[in-house]
Amino acid sequence: MTRYVMVIDQRRCIGCRSCTVACRTWNDLPLDIVYNPVLTEGVQGEWPNVRRNWLPTLCMHCEKPACVPCCPTGASRKDDDGTVWIKYDQCMACKACVNACPYGMRQQSHLRPRLHQYIQKCTFCRDKRQMDPSAQPYCVLTCHQKARVFGDLDDPNSEVSKLINGAETFRLMEDLGTGPQIYFIPDLGGTAQ
Amino acid sequence: MAEIDIHAPGVEMVKSLCYFCHANCGVLAYVKDGDVIKIEGDPDYSNQGGLCCRGTSALLHLNHPARVNHVLKRVGEKGEGKWEQIPYDQAIQEVADKLNQIKAESGAEAVASAGGTTRTDDWARRRFLNQFGTPNGFHNALLCWIPTFMAETCVSGWSPFETDLGAARCLILWGMNPGASTLPGMHGYTDLQMNGMKIIVVDPRYSETASKADLWLPLRPGSDAALALAMLHVILYEGLGNGEFIGQWCSGFEELMGHMVDYSPEWAAPITWLEPEQIRTAARMYATNTPGCIQWGCTWDQIGRASTTGSHAIALLRAVTGNLDVPGGDGMPGPAINFVTDEEMELNELLPEEQKAKQISRFKLTSWPGYSIISQTARRQWGKTLPTEWFCEAHGPSVFKAILTGDPYQVRALICNATNPVNSYGDAKMTLEALKKVEFLVTVEYWMTPTALFSDYVFPAAGALERPTIVTHYGATDSLMGGSRAIQPKYDRHTDMTFWRKLGLACGQDPANWPWETEEEAYYHIMEPLGLPISNYDEFVSNVRMYYPPLHQKKFEAHGGFWTPSGKVELNSTIMQELGFPGMPTYIGTIENPIDTPELLDEYPMVLTTGGGFMPYHHSEHFQMQAIRYLYPDPYFSIHPDAAEKYHISQGDWCWIETRRGRIKMRADVQQEVDPRVIFCPRGWWFPERDGSADLDNPFGCLESNVNTLTSVDAEHCDPMGGSWANRGLLCKVYRVHDADNEFTAKDAQFSMPGSSNVPGITVMPSDQPLAREPIPFEKPQPTREVPEGFEWCWQNDALYQKGTEFRLDESGWLIDPKDQSYVDAHTGWVYVAAEEVLLDKETGKKYTMERVEIPYLAGVRGYPGMEQAPFEVPEHLRWNVEAGYAMLPDRQLVYDPNSGWMLDPDTGAYHDAYYGYKYDAATNTLLDENTGKRFTMDYQPVVE
Repeated sequence: MTRYVMVIDQRRCIGCRSCTVACRTWNDLPLDIVYNPVLTEGVQGEWPNVRRNWLPTLCMHCEKPACVPCCPTGASRKDDDGTVWIKYDQCMACKACVNACPYGMRQQSHLRPRLHQYIQKCTFCRDKRQMDPSAQPYCVLTCHQKARVFGDLDDPNSEVSKLINGAETFRLMEDLGTGPQIYFIPDLGGTAQ
Repeated sequence: MAEIDIHAPGVEMVKSLCYFCHANCGVLAYVKDGDVIKIEGDPDYSNQGGLCCRGTSALLHLNHPARVNHVLKRVGEKGEGKWEQIPYDQAIQEVADKLNQIKAESGAEAVASAGGTTRTDDWARRRFLNQFGTPNGFHNALLCWIPTFMAETCVSGWSPFETDLGAARCLILWGMNPGASTLPGMHGYTDLQMNGMKIIVVDPRYSETASKADLWLPLRPGSDAALALAMLHVILYEGLGNGEFIGQWCSGFEELMGHMVDYSPEWAAPITWLEPEQIRTAARMYATNTPGCIQWGCTWDQIGRASTTGSHAIALLRAVTGNLDVPGGDGMPGPAINFVTDEEMELNELLPEEQKAKQISRFKLTSWPGYSIISQTARRQWGKTLPTEWFCEAHGPSVFKAILTGDPYQVRALICNATNPVNSYGDAKMTLEALKKVEFLVTVEYWMTPTALFSDYVFPAAGALERPTIVTHYGATDSLMGGSRAIQPKYDRHTDMTFWRKLGLACGQDPANWPWETEEEAYYHIMEPLGLPISNYDEFVSNVRMYYPPLHQKKFEAHGGFWTPSGKVELNSTIMQELGFPGMPTYIGTIENPIDTPELLDEYPMVLTTGGGFMPYHHSEHFQMQAIRYLYPDPYFSIHPDAAEKYHISQGDWCWIETRRGRIKMRADVQQEVDPRVIFCPRGWWFPERDGSADLDNPFGCLESNVNTLTSVDAEHCDPMGGSWANRGLLCKVYRVHDADNEFTAKDAQFSMPGSSNVPGITVMPSDQPLAREPIPFEKPQPTREVPEGFEWCWQNDALYQKGTEFRLDESGWLIDPKDQSYVDAHTGWVYVAAEEVLLDKETGKKYTMERVEIPYLAGVRGYPGMEQAPFEVPEHLRWNVEAGYAMLPDRQLVYDPNSGWMLDPDTGAYHDAYYGYKYDAATNTLLDENTGKRFTMDYQPVVE
């Protein structure tokens, strides 16, 4: 089986937001949609003993996505490899899934005509991977720092398997039970780690 | 929004390079039907497939509706924004005629040119300017690397800028934030840090890079020179230097010890706001974790008065720790010996001496006086030298002042290529006035910038995907990288080389000096001497892409010394002394600081630092592109929460930031990112979305949020050696924008000193102004021995150098060529070839005997005419022809080659056997008797047909 996950290494991320721009450019997104915002709380602590890190996000491609069963038309789906995506021509933009997603990763563009609306979200660049199965999502490719790593967690030799098994990781809002498939490696500061 | 299929028929992949910053990442461009349909990062290039916000936006940049696509000729008043589109070649001719007219009336020096960074082939511009006859080309070079480079070259003979991080144990990132400026570099640092390398970051702001550092020194902005001096003091007086290296390779150590005695960490602490113990820790970490690197950062060149002092001290830090050109240290590449350097493309020999003297710059280190000495030393030691672009330029702000004041003479025309000086040069108000006033302004641009708005002609420029790109690091290194042109320029866009070439030809310059029609031809000329198996530039890109000479560290051992006049690392620089500067770094403070100018603190209590690079912009670029502008839509300055509370400022408030020279508006980012006494402002802001012509006092809002409204270019505020102006460590105050006081008006921006916020304008002529430091008198020692004609004596190492070639006269009477240490005949310039015991004339390829008699060559076989006896063993049936100097058959004109044992036909070069003279037929491996037509095997048995 294939189980696609992404590992995001906060030790490496320097908050340049190239992934955000790359995703927008290559997926040709309208200006009011961002699939993968890079979040930060800013500088924490008391000067000069301060720290700062960045939290790059995207759709969590949950194991038990809340956004799929709630869809009245069946447009919102999940592939066997774990990719959660939307079949746009079946979507009527009722926003049931937008309400269901606990991560707020589903969006609707208000720059499109009212009758041509649909919900959009990150698909791990499904279109691209269908064309070339070995392809990586654009946000992974473009990252200079290699802070985003994409791969098959069921393959014990993949880089994501090694990273998840070799470092302490966390996932966002795990207690909701949706089984998010984005793993974060926290930044503990300098080479101390 | 369907995915673009890059494997579809008709799609071609071109290896291109990004041109939006100095990192020049590899880009794969997918081209179909002459248009780029998609780009991706090149996974096989140093960026490993990575592209930042700017790089990924290349396609938006290529097709952006706001791009200038045709030549615009001004038809209304200056700045009115009324244009007529005219054909490119017609515009070139009109500009050329005007330039020629100005040259005839006021001299070539009345034409100046401002350049931009990393978009251009600068050698082409200098090639034009040199032929035109003006010395007044300039860039923002003095804020970026050049003063540092020159100081380092004075100390050790070249800038040690190529860090060898793989073997380094410690890295200082000093005033550099690769996390926001050069992302491929940051990637390497992070990898190495995870493998144990220590990173020290020196930055007053908690930058992206500082947030990953092992040791971070948040010093007072502008106090870098004090920190460097104190670190040097610690290393010297705690005995942490590399004694072996100092003893063997350095000179002036005793003087340096004496000079540094007062610069203790306790002295530096109040200046830098650091604890003495922090300074000691950093110095010890660097000096004991050798080999280590200090990565150059722009800050060193932007402190104003103290710039070169700081970088000079840092150069000494490397020297006393022995980190120069060693594995794991800072490598000194030297000029490219193996291919044509930028300097060799510039035609500097065409600029007359009297024109050089007219260069508008009072800062000797970075203009012709300093460049001449440094360049002469480089020719003597390396055999080649630095380009004059960047390293020998006019002082930009002084040129703008000359436009306004006519002092030292009136500059009448300005050609701006890839630059928007209002936003990138200090004292934006003065720059703007100069651009308005200059008689004839020509701009080569992507966009309608404030500078372009006042132009008489705006030429459209071709962008990264529309041109091939070559990376030679300003001609200061021995490696090169290349990228191909993805598509031909769209619309009427042209590359800058084409612009200068067309303009040069239209001005009447010799077409023989402009032999290359395209960049590809010129670049191929540059790399032809490498002897790579390529027949054009695009083959280089697809097959080779990057050329690095065989890695050579510790070159100083092979060379027998460093590349300074004395051959040592000069801890007390003789070139600096010759130029009237202190030979060792002597502290000087920034123009405004709490220690030297406490009287300003009441009015301006905060320390201002400006000019850091920040994502997603580069310099003053990319503000037009909505798809990245949304990441950072408004200008934000950083302020500490305590200071914000004191001044009643909350997150996002629009505030005024004011110095003695004016005030600008920015929004507050209240964070623990800077010291409570510090304000950090980003650079370059302007608002291309506004109507430029609506407010000519502030076109496109180019002064309103532009930190250069706050900086100073006054001569006394500039670095007396390099000339860089004051961008960092200024004093300011900050207060909220109120409803009654929220409009930016002309009086909010003033000229920098002299003049004041009450009495604006230049009240003192630049030539009346003193420099920040009096020149130190220096008398060059007289020769201690007789100097033969045609030679010059070098006082530093007591050697003689031939004028013109700069070859060293050896005790043996031979000249030594520094490039390959070969011996050259002092009378003829012919090179001695030891293997053959002959002299070689490199220009004609002819060879001569040691008696300087030309040696005949027939079919590549050397003859010995007049020699009674053959110098080799002659086969018994051959006759020695004394007159011709060859062993020959009695009846045939074949010459015997002692190396191969064959006879050769001088006319055809065909091989014949040395017994009967039968011709060798390689196809059948037989011998052919040409008289009878019979064939023989190699052992003379007849071949039976």
